[in-house]
Amino acid sequence: MPENQKTMTREEFLLEMDEILGLRAGTLRGDEKLDELQNWDSIALIGMIVLAETASDASISPDRIVGCSTVSDLVRLAGLDGSSL
Amino acid sequence: MIASSALCGSIMFQSEGKPLWSLVMVLEARPVQSELLKELRFPIVPENILRKRNSLKRELLAQPNLIPTRIAILGGSTTTEVKSMLELFLLAQGIQPTFYESGYNCYYEDVLFENQALWKFKPEVVLIHTTWRNISEFPESMEDEAEVEQRVRREVERYQSLWEKIHADLGALIIQNNFDFPSLRPLGNAEAFESSGRVNFVMRMNGEFSAYARNHTRFLINDVHYLSAQVGLRAWNSPTYWYNFHMAVSPTATVALAQNVAAIVKAVYGRSKKCLVLDLDNTLWGGVVGDDGVQNLILGRDHPVGEAFQDFQLYVKNLQRRGVILAVCSKNDIDVAREGFSHPDSVLKLDDFSAFKANWSPKPANIREIAAALNIGLDSMVFVDDNPAERALVADQLPDVATPEVGSDVTRFAEILEAEHYFEVQKVVRDDLSRSSYYSLNAQRITYQANFSDYGEFLASLEMTAEIAPFCSLYLERITQLINKTNQFNLTTRRYTSAEVEAVAQDPMSITLYGRLADRFGDNGLVTVLIGRAINEALEMDLWLMSCRVLNREMELAMFDALVEQCQARGIRKIVGVYIPSKKNSMVADHYRRLGFTAGEESSESRQVWHYDVFQAKPVSTPYISRGTPSQSVAL
Repeated sequence: MPENQKTMTREEFLLEMDEILGLRAGTLRGDEKLDELQNWDSIALIGMIVLAETASDASISPDRIVGCSTVSDLVRLAGLDGSSL
Repeated sequence: MIASSALCGSIMFQSEGKPLWSLVMVLEARPVQSELLKELRFPIVPENILRKRNSLKRELLAQPNLIPTRIAILGGSTTTEVKSMLELFLLAQGIQPTFYESGYNCYYEDVLFENQALWKFKPEVVLIHTTWRNISEFPESMEDEAEVEQRVRREVERYQSLWEKIHADLGALIIQNNFDFPSLRPLGNAEAFESSGRVNFVMRMNGEFSAYARNHTRFLINDVHYLSAQVGLRAWNSPTYWYNFHMAVSPTATVALAQNVAAIVKAVYGRSKKCLVLDLDNTLWGGVVGDDGVQNLILGRDHPVGEAFQDFQLYVKNLQRRGVILAVCSKNDIDVAREGFSHPDSVLKLDDFSAFKANWSPKPANIREIAAALNIGLDSMVFVDDNPAERALVADQLPDVATPEVGSDVTRFAEILEAEHYFEVQKVVRDDLSRSSYYSLNAQRITYQANFSDYGEFLASLEMTAEIAPFCSLYLERITQLINKTNQFNLTTRRYTSAEVEAVAQDPMSITLYGRLADRFGDNGLVTVLIGRAINEALEMDLWLMSCRVLNREMELAMFDALVEQCQARGIRKIVGVYIPSKKNSMVADHYRRLGFTAGEESSESRQVWHYDVFQAKPVSTPYISRGTPSQSVAL
């Protein structure tokens, strides 16, 4: 984890997802389907891998990200199950 | 991060079926320092950039007066991340790219089979993003040297056919990746020396690419071999990203690659810095010379920290040798400050510095005076000081001066300077090697001038000779450099890439002239260029600029003499002078009037037009400069 990265909350994770997807801050709530999101493309996928790895401080293979259907799946994958790590 | 605060635009020309050129005007730039944009400054955290790219791009695009440029990325692997990151780092340099991106691994086919979309795009820059994975001629195990040499030749020729086609048909500048090492070494350490070793093959290919770069213009290397070593091969070549996305370079390493390519493009556009301003105590040596005395300074191989200071001095000396101007700005009594360089282990000497300010005045004021004495812009300067308070003061009062956060650990100063690519060059040009001495010789001229009460007598005593001739290949790099760096004595502030310089030099409808000036003190080098384009019986001046090194020497009169001769020889009856005001070129507002031009009715506030009758007007020439014979050179 980069030295300047503090522990991330679920809310912060969602805000970062908003940023990665080019959405207005506060748009994502967690129940959205990924394939219905605007800008869910390869660039966003790379950003999500980096975000999930940063949040979980662990390596996450792309196929696990691709295997997620909803935003909440990603939140769980990052180890942020509704509370701070 | 750059934001321009004056007019900027892009003009497209087409001349008789030749490729379109784009001429770019660049005027004043001011740095942008938002907290978000600091993510693009040292120390870069790649993950932050990958996560925040949308906000970064929005903020960078809000900068006014970005320079548009067309870049084709021809990839041997997935290039989506390369394009995304390159866009950010170019915007941070004030350059707004439009991209063409080849299909996956279509770098070769797109060029050889003239992909119409690429041809129509007419790139100004072509980045060939290939890696070791694109080497098709890796040797079989245990092939002998003769067979391997043939493989090297075939591989090199394959790339050369690309480069020659791009140059011939598109006229673009090529930035070619050299090769990174493969991740795996089937022969182990023997890969490095066995003919059939892939590591050995990569080293040979890189040697061939380097030789091509040395011997050809408009061809530069993106040194991924170095970058991959710096990042580490494991971080560079990620199997995960290769097998899932066919990205030859991992996303975090792509950040470093993009920053490197942006630095090359920045140098091409003349935006690299010129001058390094240095503090002394605890920056160039350990200790405080005023308190400790020269003999107690920590400098030299006998002490670990002293060795580090000496190595930093050596690094700075190497910058100076290849053309970076050095200046001192120190809080010290001047005699005490100078004495520090008498230390036996000081690599730097007093005459390495073109300006030396040591007093108790605030450093921002001293840095302003250094800029004025050297006749350079504040935005050409980098300030290095171990003291965070001094850095903060300069950063606050002189935001145009680059003030990297070097900290106080001398072992990291050079690394931090390099991380920002301040002094990137396209190629080291012969004139660059003597730049410091030009500024020092000029200081001697200024002192010599004080002996004369009559300025004409002073000019006559200089015994000046000028070499004025059409552009030639010998000076192509220096001409391009001068065009892209000169702001004050610059009538139109039009910028040209080296491809465009070469093209206009070969255009029979244009007149190009360069000027070199020497005097009793030495050679000032190539200091002025002009370009005019013939339209019917008139020549319209597209570009006329001169280095401030030779202001008030009447070199512009000598150039005008030569220009009039050329016009008369070609039957051109009128010269149309164009002055486009900028924030930096007010000194030449009167240039054409002083040469005897008359103001044209078609003038406007943003574009003044002047007329000169070649065969009727009384010539304005200089008696102080004699014309010498051009040196042996090859016409372009």
